[in-house]
Amino acid sequence: MRFSSGKILHAIGLTAVILFTLFPFYWMVSASFKTQADILASPPVWLFTPTLDHYREIFADSKVLGAVGNSLIIASATTFLAVMLGAPAAFALARYEFRGKSDLWFWFISNRMTSPIVLALPVYILALQLKMLDTHLVLILIYLTFNLPIVVWICTDQFKSIPPDLEQAARLDGADQFTIFRKIYLPLGAPGIAVSAIFSFIFSWNELLYALVLTRRDVQTAPVVATSFMSGYELPWGKIMATGTVIVLPVTIFALIVSRHMVRGLTMGATK
Amino acid sequence: MTFLKLDKIKKTFGELSVIKGVDITASKGEFVVFVGPSGCGKSTLLRMIAGLEDVSSGTLSIDGKEVTYEEPAKREVSMVFQSYALYPHMSVFENMAFGLRMAKLPEDEIRRRVGEAARILQIEPLLERKPRALSGGQRQRVAIGRSIVRNPKIFLFDEPLSNLDAELRSQMRVEIAKLHRNLGATMVYVTHDQVEAMTLADRIVVLRAGLVEQIGSPTELYDRPANTFVAGFIGSPKMNFLVAKVTGADNAGLQLSHPAFANGFLSLTHSSAGKAKIGDLLTVGLRPEHLDVAAASPLLKLTADFAENLGGSTQIYTRAGEDTIIILANGRPDLKPGAQITAGIDPRHIYLFTSDGLAL
Repeated sequence: MRFSSGKILHAIGLTAVILFTLFPFYWMVSASFKTQADILASPPVWLFTPTLDHYREIFADSKVLGAVGNSLIIASATTFLAVMLGAPAAFALARYEFRGKSDLWFWFISNRMTSPIVLALPVYILALQLKMLDTHLVLILIYLTFNLPIVVWICTDQFKSIPPDLEQAARLDGADQFTIFRKIYLPLGAPGIAVSAIFSFIFSWNELLYALVLTRRDVQTAPVVATSFMSGYELPWGKIMATGTVIVLPVTIFALIVSRHMVRGLTMGATK
Repeated sequence: MTFLKLDKIKKTFGELSVIKGVDITASKGEFVVFVGPSGCGKSTLLRMIAGLEDVSSGTLSIDGKEVTYEEPAKREVSMVFQSYALYPHMSVFENMAFGLRMAKLPEDEIRRRVGEAARILQIEPLLERKPRALSGGQRQRVAIGRSIVRNPKIFLFDEPLSNLDAELRSQMRVEIAKLHRNLGATMVYVTHDQVEAMTLADRIVVLRAGLVEQIGSPTELYDRPANTFVAGFIGSPKMNFLVAKVTGADNAGLQLSHPAFANGFLSLTHSSAGKAKIGDLLTVGLRPEHLDVAAASPLLKLTADFAENLGGSTQIYTRAGEDTIIILANGRPDLKPGAQITAGIDPRHIYLFTSDGLAL
């Protein structure tokens, strides 16, 4: 077998990207099984005797489990609401002409152009005055603000790729708008909806800035708890890395399960 | 009795006028074909009958009831789309049952009707399949089946055969004709293919640029086209046109001159001859299949240019001065490019048009 230089370059490039993406992940997982001494050793220790001490420690700590629970509640609720509200909006944007459609469209996108930290202080003051600090609801609402545009965006694109003939055939068959949405657009747009749900879930699961600003004690999410182990006197890397691994694991499994849809959803519409 | 009536129908998209006032009627059980070049508005007109496009002005009635602004579903029409528009996530059975479920028919009635349609179209073994597992011809049948089950007042077809290969197209054409015969239903069919129009239609509506050019039976359109557009559109290969000068005219007949005429002129009797004056320019229409290269008294002297062997017949491209004349000849005449040939025609098959393109 012969390899062209182009293919070899391609392979080298891909390998570099894979190493670049996977190395931090490897570092985190391996560090979670190392003793503190091994973690801090320089040069790094590649071969070590694994220890489960850090995991024992974090699972004994009710704070971690509670935080994972909070994260689950907030990410699931956000995702559910984002899809429930975003998909019908996307249907309207994809299929109907109405006044201010392009302005609305731009507004959706512009929400994503703002750097989240710009809004952190105003949102904090708002939450403070509404006495909503340290509640699930405040995080769900703020994550919804960031996720809805993504959901609407992906779903609109997906719905636009559904041939309009289908909708017209359904209209002649006597289906009303809601039935067309439910029986034609939802099932056919499932890949796009799944992708937007994944994005929404991952975003809400990983988000740190607002979770840090808007929670105190009761509703701390997993990323907040992971960083809270850092104190002025010690940096328990093993514990932080073990928490990190526990946080990443569910999302990874979730993403692997739906990855088939994800690829389909993202490439759909690109080719006919 | 008029079953479908389009009265002064117009359609505008903003400034753009697509349908410029169309009157069409169809009686019950009639097969009407809208034919015309792309962009003539035939599909728009069909979609207006379906209710998928709004009518800008005019009225539309079906079975004596005005439905100009009625919802598509309430018009009791069904449509077969060019793309078939089958629901890809539903089985063939569910595709056909969808409309009946919307109408909230009882389950056993749905099964009966879908079964009946599947039997007529011979797609019974396919009922559990998804559309993607079907061939083009099978999808076409399912799409037709979906319209049959609803027992509509009018069947609408929007270029249903254009996605099929040539053999399947002629096969489905015959099946649609048989279906029309068996169901006795009113059908409106849109196509740009004049062969489909000729073979299927009871009546053809020829459209151009949003206006009706002529309405008539296939034979009427072929024998008595109203203008050069219809004459050129109906019949394949296209009718030949020569512009000739009137050199003699009285109530009984005409004399026309053109350099390609064998004697320099053509004399013929014509009932409307009195309308022409000496010096007028008339368009002479000659159908390729009417020209005879072996005629005893030839009309045209031509220079052979190119010949296409079609097997049983030959399509000969010839030059007559500036013009190209196509002849459809039987058999395989042996012709060298540049050879001088002659062609005759039965005078009854000569069409005459005024300089405005209207039949004389």
